Amino acid sequence: MIRYIVRRLLWGVVLLVAVIAITFVLFYLVPNVNPAVLRAGRNSSPKIISEISANLGLNKPVYTQFWVYLKRLVLHFDLGYSYYSGASVKSLMADRLPATLSLTFGAVVIWLAVGIPVGIISAIKRRSVLDRSAMGTALVFVSAPVYWLGLLVLFLFAADIGKFKIPFLHGAGSYVGLTTSPLHWFESLLMPWFVLAATSAAIYARLLRGSLIDVMGEDYIRTARAKGLPEHTVVMKHGVRSAITPLVTVLGLDIAILMGGAVLTETVFDIPGIGRLNYDAITHGDFPIIQGTIVLAAIFIILANIVVDIAYAYLDPRVRYT
Amino acid sequence: MKWRFKRLALAGVTCSLALVVAACGSSSSKTSSSGASSTSSNGLKPALDGSNQTLTGGKKGGTLTVYNHEDFEHLDPGQAYFVIDYEAVYATQRPLYIFPPNDSQHVIPDMASGPPQITNGGKTVTVNIRPNVKFGPPVNRAVTCSDVKYAIERGANPNVGNAYFPAYFAYLQGGSSATGGPIPGIVCTSPTQIVFHLTGPYGTFFVGALSLPLSAAVPKEFVQPLDKQKPTAYGAKYLVATGPYMFKSDSKGVFLGIGYQPGKSATLVRNPNWNASTDPRPAYLNQININIGGDPNVIGRQVLTGSDTVQNDTPADAIVKLAYQNYYNQLVAVPGSGDRYVGLNEQHGPFTNINTRKAFWAALDREAMIKARGGEVVEQLGTHFIYPGSAGYDQAGGASGPNVDYNNSPAGNMSVAAKYMKAAGYPSGKYTGSYVLKVVGSTGDPADKDAAIVNQTLQSLGFKTNFTLVDQSVMYSKYCGVPKQQIDVCPNVGWIRDWYDPQTLLDPTFAGYNIVPTNNSNWGMVSWQDWPKANGGTYTSGPLTPIDQAMKTAETSVGDANRASAWAKVDQMLVGDAVAVPWAFDKQPNIAAKDVNGINDLWNEGSWDYSWMWLKNA
Repeated sequence: MIRYIVRRLLWGVVLLVAVIAITFVLFYLVPNVNPAVLRAGRNSSPKIISEISANLGLNKPVYTQFWVYLKRLVLHFDLGYSYYSGASVKSLMADRLPATLSLTFGAVVIWLAVGIPVGIISAIKRRSVLDRSAMGTALVFVSAPVYWLGLLVLFLFAADIGKFKIPFLHGAGSYVGLTTSPLHWFESLLMPWFVLAATSAAIYARLLRGSLIDVMGEDYIRTARAKGLPEHTVVMKHGVRSAITPLVTVLGLDIAILMGGAVLTETVFDIPGIGRLNYDAITHGDFPIIQGTIVLAAIFIILANIVVDIAYAYLDPRVRYT
Repeated sequence: MKWRFKRLALAGVTCSLALVVAACGSSSSKTSSSGASSTSSNGLKPALDGSNQTLTGGKKGGTLTVYNHEDFEHLDPGQAYFVIDYEAVYATQRPLYIFPPNDSQHVIPDMASGPPQITNGGKTVTVNIRPNVKFGPPVNRAVTCSDVKYAIERGANPNVGNAYFPAYFAYLQGGSSATGGPIPGIVCTSPTQIVFHLTGPYGTFFVGALSLPLSAAVPKEFVQPLDKQKPTAYGAKYLVATGPYMFKSDSKGVFLGIGYQPGKSATLVRNPNWNASTDPRPAYLNQININIGGDPNVIGRQVLTGSDTVQNDTPADAIVKLAYQNYYNQLVAVPGSGDRYVGLNEQHGPFTNINTRKAFWAALDREAMIKARGGEVVEQLGTHFIYPGSAGYDQAGGASGPNVDYNNSPAGNMSVAAKYMKAAGYPSGKYTGSYVLKVVGSTGDPADKDAAIVNQTLQSLGFKTNFTLVDQSVMYSKYCGVPKQQIDVCPNVGWIRDWYDPQTLLDPTFAGYNIVPTNNSNWGMVSWQDWPKANGGTYTSGPLTPIDQAMKTAETSVGDANRASAWAKVDQMLVGDAVAVPWAFDKQPNIAAKDVNGINDLWNEGSWDYSWMWLKNA
């Protein structure tokens, strides 16, 4: 198993370098804006622009810039400095990561807490009113864009601009850190958590339902019942354990992607997380930040894949580490 | 700028308001004697324009919350060149002169103790500096002439890279070759007197430049070491205030992570060393909390229904509509916030012919373009290039603009267009050549709609087009601002003045001698014959084009009235040559909570002035 993890980690590093290289290439191929021109402003002379280019290292060949970046990243985990604020990308990301972590894990807890029971009940009570209404509701949430849903709940329930104000549902921009005020942190994230979780809960419920229906038709389930096991043991121990493996795959990737930033949710609720940092950087052509957030997302995705693969083997005895 | 273009792009993004306008009445704009559109005619009362705002009698105290959808770009007074930056910079720094919020055409002394003395035929400007104005913590000493001198000199330092130094401070003796060291044209005759020696009679114009943040004093001993870093750490990590407010900082002057968290928030608190008796600004507020980010649709509602808040950048279109309908007194639409025009390439293709340009001007439905941006509540029909609030606007034609037939039909007139197409050599009244026009516009609503109207107009005149939409910054930096790309039509360009002097409006955008190979702002390549060889053109010497010659004459005019007349004449020549097609004079919409006495800087695109506004319930 150790060899397997080491091998996967090494491949992860190769993948990471490839991602960084592709981002670099894309940045230079796509007709984006020269950051030196943006920084220099509208009246600036070619001389000023070229001097700013030199200061930012933009006058060097792409491969040199790439090498310098890679060297700093590997040796010092230095992700560079924002073209605009001049702030260290590493410190900016460290500053934003807690908000994204808070948002992600709260939402994950909610969507698993809602999606898994709903999926199981729908599969067990197939074609019942409960199943149909649950899947109908799920379809609505699957179809609802997060951005729209976010605006909707704010306009309906937020304590400041809501039509039906709920005092503890603070509006957009109310996020505070967990250590500043745990209660306010919790209250400020309630709406974002539910909005972010809504779509995923619906998807997970539908996914688990379909998977569990298939599993419950398998021979070994009939055998378990024939052995006289209680129904809840048959469902939970034999059915769900097997049916849940596709969810684990999706969950790993979902968490990793959200760690790279839930851009829309963070923007609507004005949560200063990684997603909004990335969005702002893209609109400004602030390449060091874009690169930094991509590296972060790639690291999370690679790690999530490894964790998922390990979890797979635990959940499904047919899977072996090779 | 970086970009006031950005503000220009957002200003008047109120397409849904256009639906209100359209629904409330006919689209028939009244036509003046010259034929151009006059004032609002759709049965809608105009939005408040900020002209009657009261500056005195405010209440001291309280905390204002500001919602910024966008982040700051530069907070160093040597770098700031963006309308949102200006709001914070003018509250925390003191240039030699400032404009009071209500007056966009007359400076008043700020760090200076009195009006400038312009002598030597306009070649020398002497300014006395207020004694005993102290820097904020951690410097805590009085400002002297050498601080102002260094503040300006560092603008030429590539590590600072001030954007407007080459345009305005190169008039100083030694300014054009400066790189951050001492400039011979700036002399401190005493700790409280600074003398500027100029290369020509540019004194009247130069005084306007002293209202820009670059003239705000910086403590030399504190800033100079920081300026050695690439780029400077001043304004990125450290800041020292001279104004009534300062960014919350630690004892070393570090404000990054304390009073400013990029992309998250900023906090302005009172500068303990500020002395009200030395400053024309009342500074009523105790603190300004700036929240950065958020969705414009949400923060707009938070402001309209909230307390002690304003939105700093352009509200979303739905919010402007909501404010106009339900919160009328909380909305202002400040005129004189920029102009918009269609750039036509005079160097290549069919628009080298003046009659083709006039034909396009005549055919263009400028009213439709205005409606796409929200209609007359937030836009004014553009009829020439010097826009309201700028010197020379009235002399250049005022609201109706010059009385020429191609300017007299805001909704477009195809018969006038046909007349000019025939004069251009197309007997059918339509273009019959094989040239395919390269048209590059800007993405995003409503810019894309305006670009589409331009494209349709070109096609209605018989042109074949290669129509491309790209991000606005890409449009400027990769296409329209790069002469070698030979873009024929740029539908979404525009400009914002730096102060009331029309030179800041016309010289960067229409002078052939200012054409540069990248970041070019003469998008139509007007007077390309004067494009300097040193910058990639062919001009070395000889007579300038009549327009450039008129600009040079206007540039050396002395006295505000003379300058206004001279630049108005340039404007009329530009219209006469149909160098571009102006179609909008922007109004900047702003919203505030009902309990905020918001004060808008009419000289700065109607932006909020924290040093003058107050809370009604303070």
